[in-house]
Amino acid sequence: MKEELKILAATCFGFGIGGDSWERGLSWNPDVIVAQGTTSDGGPGYLGSDAPYAGFLDTKKDLRTIIVSAKRKAIPFILSTGSPGGGNRQLERSLEFVDEISKEANIKLRVAVIPGELKKEYLKQKIRAGVKIRRLVDTDRLPEYLTEEEVDRSERIAAQMGPEPVMKALDLDVDGVITGRALDVGLYMALPLKRGFDKALAAHMAKSVEDGGLATEPQSFKALFAVLRRDHFLVWPTNPSTKCTVVSIAAHAFYERPDPNREENPGGALDITGANYEQYDDQTVKVSGSRWIPAEYTLKIEGARRVGYRTISICGIRDERLISCIDLFLEQTRKHVEKMFLPLKLNEDYVLLFRVYGKNGVLGDAEPIKQTKAHELGLIIDAVAPEEELADAVCTTATDYLLHADYPGRLTTAANVAFPYSPREHRMGPVYIYNIWHLLELDDPCEPFDINIREFPVR
Amino acid sequence: MKIYELATVLRSKNAGPFRTTLDILFDADEPYRRVRDSGVLTKEYIAELYGIRKKDVYGIFYADAARGIKITIQKPLDMASGDIHCRDLFGGQQHIPLLGIEVP
Repeated sequence: MKEELKILAATCFGFGIGGDSWERGLSWNPDVIVAQGTTSDGGPGYLGSDAPYAGFLDTKKDLRTIIVSAKRKAIPFILSTGSPGGGNRQLERSLEFVDEISKEANIKLRVAVIPGELKKEYLKQKIRAGVKIRRLVDTDRLPEYLTEEEVDRSERIAAQMGPEPVMKALDLDVDGVITGRALDVGLYMALPLKRGFDKALAAHMAKSVEDGGLATEPQSFKALFAVLRRDHFLVWPTNPSTKCTVVSIAAHAFYERPDPNREENPGGALDITGANYEQYDDQTVKVSGSRWIPAEYTLKIEGARRVGYRTISICGIRDERLISCIDLFLEQTRKHVEKMFLPLKLNEDYVLLFRVYGKNGVLGDAEPIKQTKAHELGLIIDAVAPEEELADAVCTTATDYLLHADYPGRLTTAANVAFPYSPREHRMGPVYIYNIWHLLELDDPCEPFDINIREFPVR
Repeated sequence: MKIYELATVLRSKNAGPFRTTLDILFDADEPYRRVRDSGVLTKEYIAELYGIRKKDVYGIFYADAARGIKITIQKPLDMASGDIHCRDLFGGQQHIPLLGIEVP
């Protein structure tokens, strides 16, 4: 077996892969190119609606760079896509791009595709069979154990697949693997694990490179390069004007994680308490000493549920007389709406929120500055209701009241607020929340996933 | 001295949709140790700053190699990322209450 494995970590695509840094990375002869394109960072709206992030064209450009580069170097690519929720429709959209790319670049591709959506029936059968699917975070916001009703309430459910289905797919004589929703570090771990490298080091390497240039000084959007060996790994940037330092790599373990020393993964936890970081050369950090603590295999599942529709109206307030009594005036508005919509009940049948930017729009009650010094406030009147028409009506009623109602010291008897847009009300569409954020125990990590071989170009 | 005068990075972000994680990173051992050893960061104090219950402070972690302190808190029940009442989808501006911490 080979003593080292070289990984070009393209990280998130859509940010602009390519250029000199990319070519430099390729010139170091990587064994694999890995990139991720799914995330829950943007919230449940993407999984729920199966809508893409804006800028899908960039995604295609980056997909082309990765696929064409991998083909040129005769190495596999491993990508997750679903832009970004991980739903099957978005995965198919990416595969349409792959088809176009194969035609435009005149290359033939054989790709293993692993969708990440779970069928509701699959989960309901598990629950009926007595499998306990417990919540990943101990919060009353989630049911402790997943129920069939909660599964039914979801609009869409995705599983964050681990490295195992990708490892299996790599055996199928393919040019690359494209998954739906997947664990980012799992994509980077798949080939190392298949080649028998240490799991803790593979996971730690993955964790260090998965966000690319966020782990460099200064931060950049360019790819990272890693060399994984028996008892350590090296990591350095493809961008020559940045470097990896002991602190930049060690500190990256903090990024978006609840605990900087220990990370729960499917089948175990990565413990980096005893890890050693060394400045290997000016740009490179050498890492060793991480440990893997095995645990039962669990697959993280994510579900989004539609809870209503949102209509908003945006306006500005410039008059200091209104700014000085804004809390009171908004409370008065809320009471007016409450009365107008009886017998419907506020917070039960509909929600009305005021987001007051310039005061406490970002922090709410945790805002330490209680008295705003702003000369201007931005206000979002935010109504959510089970039906779009009701959300419209609540938003409009509140907006009209704000525009025309009286307040102490008022001079502005023609209009109290300024609207930038016509129409004033904007339908924001369905509102989704995460209702499933649970762990499914599995004996076989590949069980829920089908691996499909797709040939491109499609005729 | 205020904590932000000692730190080089003081940031917040979601750690999953139900938690906010606060990172305080330092560029030298001395200020890092000063904050770590001051005893100022307690679950009680963090709970007070964020107006949450002590049990909703998931943990305060110290990573010596990275010269970093991480504090992870549970988001309020109706304010998970994307919830109707959510004010900060990525949790990126929730570090502000930490700025007032006075380090002896």
